[in-house]
Amino acid sequence: MSVMTAPPEAAGPESTRTAPVASVRNLKRYFKRKSGEIVRAIDNVDIDVVPGEFLVLLGPSGCGKTTLLRSIAGLEQPDTGRIEVHGRPVFDSDRRLGLPPERRDLGMIFQSYALWPHMSVFKNVAYPLQNRRNRMKRQEIAQRVDRVLELLELASLREQFPSQLSGGQQQRVALARALVAGNDLILFDEPLSNVDAKVRENLRLELKSMQADLGFSAIYVTHDQAEAMELADRIAVIKEGRIVQIAGPKEIYDRPTSQYVANFVGVSNQITGVLVEKTQDGRGVVETTFGRITGAAIGVELGDEVVAVSRPERCRITSQQPADEPNAWPVSVDTSMFLGAHVEVVVHLGAHPVRVWRADADTLPRGAEGWLSVASDWVRILPREL
Amino acid sequence: MAETASATKANTTAMNRRLGGRVRLSPFNLFSALLALALLLLAVVPLVAVLARAFIQEGTLDFSAISDTLAIPDLGRTLLNTLGITLASGLVSLIIGALLAWLNERTDARVGILTDALPLVAFVLPPIAGAVGWVLLLSPGAGYLNVLIRDFVGIFGVALTEGPFDIYSWYGLIFVYSIYQVPFSFMFVSAALRNMDSSLEEASRVSGHGLATTVRRITLPALAPSLAGAALLTVWTSLGLYSIPSVIATGAGIKVLTVEIVNAVAFTYPAQTDVAVGLSFIMIAAVAIVWFIQNQVVRRSRHATVGGKARAATPIRLGGWRIVARIFIFGYAFVTTVLPMLALLLVTLTGYWTTNINWANLSLEPFRRQVLENPTSAEALTNSLTLGLVGATIAMIAAAVLSLFLLRIPKRWARGIDASIKLPSTLSHIVLAVGFVLILAGPPFRLSGTWIILLVAYIALYYPQGAVAADGAAAQVSPELSEASSVAGASQFTTFRRVFLPLMIPGLIAGWALLFVRMVGDLSASAILAGAGNPVVGRQILEVFQNGTFSLMASLAMTLTVISATVVVVLQVISRRAARWSTQTSSKSKSKGSRAR
Repeated sequence: MSVMTAPPEAAGPESTRTAPVASVRNLKRYFKRKSGEIVRAIDNVDIDVVPGEFLVLLGPSGCGKTTLLRSIAGLEQPDTGRIEVHGRPVFDSDRRLGLPPERRDLGMIFQSYALWPHMSVFKNVAYPLQNRRNRMKRQEIAQRVDRVLELLELASLREQFPSQLSGGQQQRVALARALVAGNDLILFDEPLSNVDAKVRENLRLELKSMQADLGFSAIYVTHDQAEAMELADRIAVIKEGRIVQIAGPKEIYDRPTSQYVANFVGVSNQITGVLVEKTQDGRGVVETTFGRITGAAIGVELGDEVVAVSRPERCRITSQQPADEPNAWPVSVDTSMFLGAHVEVVVHLGAHPVRVWRADADTLPRGAEGWLSVASDWVRILPREL
Repeated sequence: MAETASATKANTTAMNRRLGGRVRLSPFNLFSALLALALLLLAVVPLVAVLARAFIQEGTLDFSAISDTLAIPDLGRTLLNTLGITLASGLVSLIIGALLAWLNERTDARVGILTDALPLVAFVLPPIAGAVGWVLLLSPGAGYLNVLIRDFVGIFGVALTEGPFDIYSWYGLIFVYSIYQVPFSFMFVSAALRNMDSSLEEASRVSGHGLATTVRRITLPALAPSLAGAALLTVWTSLGLYSIPSVIATGAGIKVLTVEIVNAVAFTYPAQTDVAVGLSFIMIAAVAIVWFIQNQVVRRSRHATVGGKARAATPIRLGGWRIVARIFIFGYAFVTTVLPMLALLLVTLTGYWTTNINWANLSLEPFRRQVLENPTSAEALTNSLTLGLVGATIAMIAAAVLSLFLLRIPKRWARGIDASIKLPSTLSHIVLAVGFVLILAGPPFRLSGTWIILLVAYIALYYPQGAVAADGAAAQVSPELSEASSVAGASQFTTFRRVFLPLMIPGLIAGWALLFVRMVGDLSASAILAGAGNPVVGRQILEVFQNGTFSLMASLAMTLTVISATVVVVLQVISRRAARWSTQTSSKSKSKGSRAR
């Protein structure tokens, strides 16, 4: 699974393969602002990262995702909880254990890549092998570094300095440096965030294919939901220090469990109302100003203020009323525009604007009459937060 | 209820652990903390010793130090002299410095980096060298400039045997003080002008006022707080200045506070430590008052610059005056730095101070004879160079370690430690040197007359100047670079050695050069702490001056100047080369990199 031979102390062959690469339990970290307000940077977080998995921590800036990542790396001290890396406890508030970063055996890619500008590519990559715990012969180090450089197609840049490299080359050097000591777990602290959009896209593709080839596990912090969708095997959406939903990208997108997640990931139509019906199979009916909406009721009770959420591409505009569809309302077109991949049509249900994305369709004239419908499978009824 | 209570409890324990949690108890942090403690003691203890000694002797309250001091004849005269020189030279240097700064920042008299740097050259030269140089130039009898002027007026039949100028006078003293102070006020006012929105002035011009009115009604009022700040800065540096008055005021028979302190403790037998302590106490009080006023002024000045958007000013065209302005700038630099150096050089190469110069006989022979083959001078030179080398190295490494440590610990602590280490030595070097006599010269240390006491004093006195350079260098290293090193498995020691040190080295070299120059050319601490057992160049110059051997004095001053200038220039070049990776842009360096291979 790992490109490199594992360091001797972590050589347990079977156990490391099935056990999580990293696990976080009950982690807490509170700050106190000058105003006396308490900020929960990490609020009771539990996560497991399985081997080979690409886990993305997604959330707006200031939600605590970076603090969480840095706590796993040992660059910050949480208040309470436990962190294990490769099955080895590295932080445990009960045992007053907190290993410094240099003893946690993991790789990290920083926002700026943090390549040391005064060292050549070779020296940068050799650095993690040249410490007291890793006593290796000079020749052995050179061999291993060269092997990693070869693997990441950096061999020709061996003697270059970081300032002479392109963004993609820098990313690969940073990756080589993170992998060289045989670490299975790589932490990414919003890399690419200060690169322009086009370059970023390429770096993302490259990173994803590297991960597929080399098979390391990754925890990746970002505030960019498109990036999260593209890279992640699983996404943990974070709000005010808590994980509000952790699932695969498709699950997160199609089945958000909260209004926050629906808002943060992708575009959604949201209509507020009150839950008036709830059936055994988890369906619910929302009473709104313009009629009723049926959908999957998630964590809501009768009489609750709720919000019905649907994705624009799941909504339909038809000229006739669709048969057997409870969620159908007569509407007239407000605006309609061509957006490349699809046509966006905006209609109004009461005071609520609703977006409809139609692939392979033309724009509709303003004022055109028709029916808006959405299958109840694609409507999520969630507790109202805002 | 119970829930909130337990939550707050959890919070407070979390907060309590925060401080211990963030700063790890690692060997490197422990080392850094001990270093901080050592520097703190070095800076604070001498000052406390002086203050304590003024009131307490052998464990009992005793005002004899104060009463002895008040009993000194001419005390009032001395204080008035000091105050007079300080204020007069402050005013003169402020006018010259502000004028130079305005010409350089606002007019087309500026010649790029040349005029930016020219007024600052005096910084690099040891003040004692300038003082001796001016004695050689303007001494009433044999002063080179005086002789030139006499020869010149002689053509018109005016016969003078002395003068017309006399360096050993009030105006001579104020003149040399002012030259030393101009760089300070120049820097202060330049910075203020750079931060001041030049469109304020442009608005005045557009409103129909001429240049003179604009300067008088807009520029000067806007600059007033900065000018006041600069004036007070020069006042407290003047108060503590020793090297210039030690030569010129002594020659003129004008008593100055710092000279009196040194005389009491170092040139009187038996040493009048009580008097020195009493005078030091007066000095501390005076500087503290000036400090307080300056702080108030600078704090208020913040409002004055608010709203100004800094932007490169369009230079005012001086037209015909441009050439006059340039002559003034270059003339100033020539008169203040080149002339005294020429005088020193001439005397050094002639071997004695004479107005009948045999130009064919100039050689380094007299220098060899007087400095290198004179055992005392040679020893003093060796000692000074060794102390400078060792002292600057220790201080710079300490500064590098400490600047990083202060970034790691909580801000409040860092600020307090930083200020406590840096402030005492800015107070007055003479006073701290007296403090070192009090704590280290006698029992239990008995370090009087050793090189250790000099080394310790030099490090304490000049550390802050090195720390400024180290702080700047540390701030330029992105925290991610060291975090990457930790994650890569390196200990804090390794991270310091392999990441911070190489990245900080350009700044550290520059700081080292400054410290070396200051330590080798030190006069204030050396005057008090050096003696027959540990001669150094500074002390040697003073003793030679008291014997009146001007040629040896000139040779020593010249040696200091040459060493200082060489070290600064060479290290500047090395520092630039050490930083070459940071200036490499990807396009430019690619060819360089491939050529290197």
